[in-house]
Amino acid sequence: MASLTLRSVRKQLGPNEILRGIDLEVEDGELVVLVGPSGCGKSTLLRTIAGLEIPDSGAVHIGERDVTRLAPRERDVAMVFQSYALYPHLTVRDNLAFGLKLRGEKPDVIAARVDEVARMLGLEALLDRYPRQMSGGQRQRVAMGRAIARRPKLFLFDEPLSNLDAALRAEVRVEIKKLHRELGATMVYVTHDQVEAMTLADRLVVLRTGEVEQVGPPLEVYGQPASRFVASFMGSPAMNFVPARGEADAVKAEGLTLPVRGAPEGEVLVGIRPHDVLERDGGPIAMDVEVVEAMGFEAYAHGKVGAVPFVARLEGDRAGAVKVGDRIALDVAPGAVHLFDAETQRALR
Amino acid sequence: MGKGRQRLATIALLACALVCSESAAQAGPAVGQAPVDVVVWHAYRGQEEAALRQVARAFEAENPDVRVRLVAQPFGAYASKLESAIPTGNGPDLFIDAHDRIESFASRGLLQPITPPDAEAFARRLDGRHQAAFTALGALHGYPLSVKTAALYVNASLAPDPIESFEDLEALALPDGVFPLAMEAESAYWTAGFFAAHGASLLNDEHGWGLEGEGALTALRRLSRWVESRVVPEESSGDLVKRLFSEGQAAAAISGPWLAPDLPEALDWRVQPLPVVASTGARMRPYATVEGAYLAARSAQPAAANRFAAFLTFGEGALLRARVARQIVTDREAWPALEGDAFLQRFREAADDAAVMPTHPHMRMIFGPADRAIRKVLRGTATPEDALEEGRHRFDDVTRPLPAPRSPAWGLAALGLLTLLGALAMVRRLREPAFRGALRKSMPAYRYVAHAAVAVGLLVILPLVVGGLTSFFAGRGLEEMYFVGVANYVDILVARGGDLLGHGSFWLVLAVTVLWTVLNVALHLVIGVFLALLLHRPYLRMKALYRVLLILPWAVPNYVTALAWKGMFHRQFGAVNALLTSLGAEPVSWFSHWTTAFSANVATNVWLGFPFMMVVTLGALTSIPKDVYEAAAVDGANAWQRFRLITAPMLVPFLAPAVAMGSVWTFNMFNVVFLVSGGEPDGSTEILVSEAYRWAFTRGNQYGYAAAYAVLIFLILLVSTRVASKAAEADA
Repeated sequence: MASLTLRSVRKQLGPNEILRGIDLEVEDGELVVLVGPSGCGKSTLLRTIAGLEIPDSGAVHIGERDVTRLAPRERDVAMVFQSYALYPHLTVRDNLAFGLKLRGEKPDVIAARVDEVARMLGLEALLDRYPRQMSGGQRQRVAMGRAIARRPKLFLFDEPLSNLDAALRAEVRVEIKKLHRELGATMVYVTHDQVEAMTLADRLVVLRTGEVEQVGPPLEVYGQPASRFVASFMGSPAMNFVPARGEADAVKAEGLTLPVRGAPEGEVLVGIRPHDVLERDGGPIAMDVEVVEAMGFEAYAHGKVGAVPFVARLEGDRAGAVKVGDRIALDVAPGAVHLFDAETQRALR
Repeated sequence: MGKGRQRLATIALLACALVCSESAAQAGPAVGQAPVDVVVWHAYRGQEEAALRQVARAFEAENPDVRVRLVAQPFGAYASKLESAIPTGNGPDLFIDAHDRIESFASRGLLQPITPPDAEAFARRLDGRHQAAFTALGALHGYPLSVKTAALYVNASLAPDPIESFEDLEALALPDGVFPLAMEAESAYWTAGFFAAHGASLLNDEHGWGLEGEGALTALRRLSRWVESRVVPEESSGDLVKRLFSEGQAAAAISGPWLAPDLPEALDWRVQPLPVVASTGARMRPYATVEGAYLAARSAQPAAANRFAAFLTFGEGALLRARVARQIVTDREAWPALEGDAFLQRFREAADDAAVMPTHPHMRMIFGPADRAIRKVLRGTATPEDALEEGRHRFDDVTRPLPAPRSPAWGLAALGLLTLLGALAMVRRLREPAFRGALRKSMPAYRYVAHAAVAVGLLVILPLVVGGLTSFFAGRGLEEMYFVGVANYVDILVARGGDLLGHGSFWLVLAVTVLWTVLNVALHLVIGVFLALLLHRPYLRMKALYRVLLILPWAVPNYVTALAWKGMFHRQFGAVNALLTSLGAEPVSWFSHWTTAFSANVATNVWLGFPFMMVVTLGALTSIPKDVYEAAAVDGANAWQRFRLITAPMLVPFLAPAVAMGSVWTFNMFNVVFLVSGGEPDGSTEILVSEAYRWAFTRGNQYGYAAAYAVLIFLILLVSTRVASKAAEADA
């Protein structure tokens, strides 16, 4: 296993600058998730680590070794592709053994390793099948098995679950987490799914248009988003944002007056997660309800605070009580109020 | 009453009109009526064509009731065009051709006997030998027009004194590099007269191989010595003879009257009789071919055509041909008017000395084996004894007696049995209700494909069946075929009783064909895949241009390519040798060794064949996902391993059918073999399909034998592709 270091990695493809100077440290044995919307550069970054793209400038180190200009095969990394990229003309056994054979391992070593991986992933019964004879979930497992069998220094996952249905995705997610613990491997995992990102990551890296927006443990990123972008990307439903004025220990907007100690003077953006509000008579937020979604154990009220769209989580039993057209009063814990600079959109506290 | 009379009058009028038109049609064109057309086919060019045109105009001036339409035909396809056009009524009324094909024309019913308008003049004005040349099946079948034979052209400034003998020629004191004699020494046609002067002839009296005995050996040794000591040029052709003599590089040349118009003004030359061989005292006696006008069967205007033929032969027609086209005309009474023309007089003497070429079918079959025997001796690859013995063997091979007729009873019984079994099987199937139901249900589908089935049946199945049946027959030509059972197959498979791996044996040709196919397809595949991989590189610029350029060899008709490559491999003028000499290497005589001739064929066919594999591979490559390569790269594969472990195995399912098709095409690639090496040297680069062609068309029209070859080719390909596809299925 090894650590990974990226230093001001830049990459331009055609007219577009895809990576704009990425710095990142991944410790030995850590599982880092790169997350961000489509086009943020996360896949390109992963391919740069794999050696499938060569950065225009900057450096990539795996362990102590500078691999910036090395071919993929010289980096000792394994990658699980979104499409799985299994070798269609080879059986599962040969797919698993492919990398080992290329490395010139002895046949008995290869056979033992293939058996071990097959057992670990429950592929024993599939070893003599071809990829076309398997389901999507089975192929995904083979793709992971192929990576594991190699025992590389670094595992790279490029949205490996996006072609699976929701139930299977949840299952495999847990399995990957388990594998990471068992193998103690260094992993870099790319996804645009914030649930995967939250549940898997030791550390999250949020990317936006080729730049790192925030790095940190998932809960820290969730709890203390560094910018409006991170705040809106992490969490579902997304955080509410209400433009307000800061005045002496309070922020005010139409239908909203919140006491905030040390609030800055002038224009600010108030961020409140739907999960952080409580329905309370006389609460400082007045919301006009337009739609109510009942989920059973909870409900979501969609509506407006002043003229600004707002979503609030309600207790499940309130779904029937709150009607469209009602005005409800909401309260929020002082620690759950996020303030962002109206101009830069960076977090103020 | 009035009505009845009217009706009678109408009928009478109609009858009268009918009778009048009938009699008018029979009486031929009267004055003021449109003239009848007489269509004349010929293969003349240049002055000969001009002379023919002038004769036609002169005839029309005297005979306003006839219009002569001259149609020039390409020389190469002349006979086959006549053979196909005349029986269907699309042929000419009259055609001009040499006398030596009269037997085969007459026996195929392409001719009708002629009755000269003035029989007495015909007998008086024409040489008996020339009349005999146009007699076939006991009747006169054409008008002899002119004689083509050889004489000696002498460069007067190099050899001022008359040349009496070949020894005189050898003794000439000439500047360096000037040949005493330019002649086509490797050709049996041009050396026949030289053999004759040594007492040997191509055909003996029984129409068998005549080049044997001391005379033939002596003649051959002398020719060989002449080539060695540069008395005559090596590997010479008609063009070379013309060039050497025109440029003063040869003191004398043996050629026909057609050489004269091509000689430069500045050259001082004369024509004289061919030399004598001093040792025997005999003069060189070449063959003469008599050209004549034949009256075609199914002619619409036989009477007018006959009149024109007579006009062409005698008097004004003869004089025009002699003066304009320099023909040695047959009409004796034309000659006094040509008294002062030394050139024509010399050639007339030569024609009188020459032997009229026999019309026996064996005559045409002797040239192939005899040419080969002479060439082998002159190129030093065989002794005269061995070469002549081999030539005889080959001649006997192509003229061997055809298999004895068999009673078709067994064949018919086998056919009947097969039909019966087929019918029984069909009936059994039809009695299954499930099959009947399925058949009923698919009736509409059969209606949709019916026209295609009929077309395939007529264009593919029927010829196949006819070809298959032909292989059980023997005969020379189509007319006199008779049933011989499987004798053709037995003959082929036992190499006609000769050495199983001997020259021209089916097995040897099969081995060459297999080697040819394997080598070609392997090269097609390697080059095609390599180029496709290059073209598939994502960063390659101007990809579309390269692709078009590389597909071009495939888009050009393959016979054009084959002829172009043949030209490039020419010993003297070819681009390949020019390249070799510019690099300091010796020029290669490509078609005189098996290895080089075979390589030339292979090079041509590889050029023709690689684009197909390239296109198939390009298509297949786009179907391999990019990320599979990336996965392999990450897994540790270098470029070669990626090709070997990913690309190659993934191309196999696409390339397997392409290879199967390519193999069949190459196995039967007649055009390249026929046009590039033409089987040279010595028929050793023939493949099965070109060998079959030779049996059908150049060895006495043995269609049955050729058909048996074709059936064997079909069976070989059928079995091998079945085996290959079974093996591929087992693999998958």
